[in-house]
Amino acid sequence: MGQPVTTNPWMIALINMTVVFGVLYFLSLIIAFIQFIDPTKKKASKVENNVVTTEPAPVASVQDDMQIIAVIAAAISAYGYSPAQIACIRRKDGQAWAQAARVEAVTVRNQMF
Amino acid sequence: MEAFAVALQAVWSDSGFTAFTIGNAIMMLVGIVLLYLAIGKGFEPLLLSPIAFGCILANFPKTGFETDPGVMQVILYGIHHEIFPPLIFLGVGAMTDFGPLIANPKTLLLGAAAQAGVFVALIGAMLLGFNVQEAGAIGIIGGADGPTAIYLTVKLAPHLLGAIAVAAYSYMSLVPLIQPPLMMMFTTKKEREVVMEQLRPVSKFEKLVFPVAVTIVVSLLLPPVTALMGMLMLGNLFRESGCTERLSDTSQNALINIVTIFLATGTGLTMKADSFLTYQTILIICLGLIAFAAGTIAGVLFGKIMYLFTGGKVNPLIGSAGVSAVPMAARVSQVVGQKANPSNFLLMHAMGPNVAGVIGTAVAAGTMLAMLK
Repeated sequence: MGQPVTTNPWMIALINMTVVFGVLYFLSLIIAFIQFIDPTKKKASKVENNVVTTEPAPVASVQDDMQIIAVIAAAISAYGYSPAQIACIRRKDGQAWAQAARVEAVTVRNQMF
Repeated sequence: MEAFAVALQAVWSDSGFTAFTIGNAIMMLVGIVLLYLAIGKGFEPLLLSPIAFGCILANFPKTGFETDPGVMQVILYGIHHEIFPPLIFLGVGAMTDFGPLIANPKTLLLGAAAQAGVFVALIGAMLLGFNVQEAGAIGIIGGADGPTAIYLTVKLAPHLLGAIAVAAYSYMSLVPLIQPPLMMMFTTKKEREVVMEQLRPVSKFEKLVFPVAVTIVVSLLLPPVTALMGMLMLGNLFRESGCTERLSDTSQNALINIVTIFLATGTGLTMKADSFLTYQTILIICLGLIAFAAGTIAGVLFGKIMYLFTGGKVNPLIGSAGVSAVPMAARVSQVVGQKANPSNFLLMHAMGPNVAGVIGTAVAAGTMLAMLK
């Protein structure tokens, strides 16, 4: 084992924090640069534009709706309510279910390190 | 009859009882307590159970674990030559989604700020009389990253490995108890209620280039941590490439489980009475707590600075996740944030500083190796 560069704890802390901040800040610049040069981003937006100009907006088929309604009615029945009490089924805006799924995914994962 | 007595005496003199010390008995008791905490209380059972059992095994006299060829010597070889931590990092990389970090690169700075705990503990350790290498190894407990702590300790102060590993893993399991009071103390209710904007979607190109770019930059700058960072990013590349599912699956399941058994048992095997039952161990346990607390506070305070500079768009609670401990620290941010505002979902925002903390701890370890070794 060689000699340490310095044994002054305040100096070690200062140099280390500077290096850590410097490296991580540089990595954040690299991430921004990767996003800037990303060739797939432009393609994706072009494809999206083409879709919008050439095709009509997709309309969900009645068949799909009926299946969704059947699944929801079955789920409500499983909780002990009658499907006859369902007044209407509307899509809710927002990300609550997606967020809940993400929370669940991270929560069930075991701590490994 | 005499031959029988001689044989019995030979068995007795070869048995462990003749060399068994009170220190060995105390360490076995420590192992049993750790087993209770792991299995009975659920503190990091995947890690603490093999550590605790390894501790019990290490304190049987005359086993020859370190001198005679065998499985225990192979496990100890893997510990003393830093083989297992990079292999664990391969699995961690395969498990980690860097998407939240790539979507919001500013959170890298929160991962950097939380490393302040490392250096608070380092300064404290030197003031208490530890030498500079020992202080560096003790400080890294504040990084809340087991494999990096073991990696650095073996290189700087191998005689402290048992105490540092137990302190690091114990405090990581106590993150849900240690962090919330500090987070509440250093934030206002208004700050905790901040709902952050939805993260932008991250393209596959970005997710593929990120691990390669980070490996090149960090390895060129800090060669001593290339094994750790390289394996972390290789695992992540397996995950994101889309054509190496089998390798990704093995890395994040079978391989990491096997290596965890070896790493944790091997860490337990270093907890022999003569090296663990010292006054230094108590100091290390105390300094570890200070390191965790200081890292949490520094992360939250930097989060407050970002809150001010972004006009209230950043919730300071995500700063505490900068102390690594993936994904536990991010979960804590989520829970505390949701307590303040039930419609708040901070988890994915907190995963950014959380994985940045892993990179930050590895960078801090590399810098210390460059300066202190």
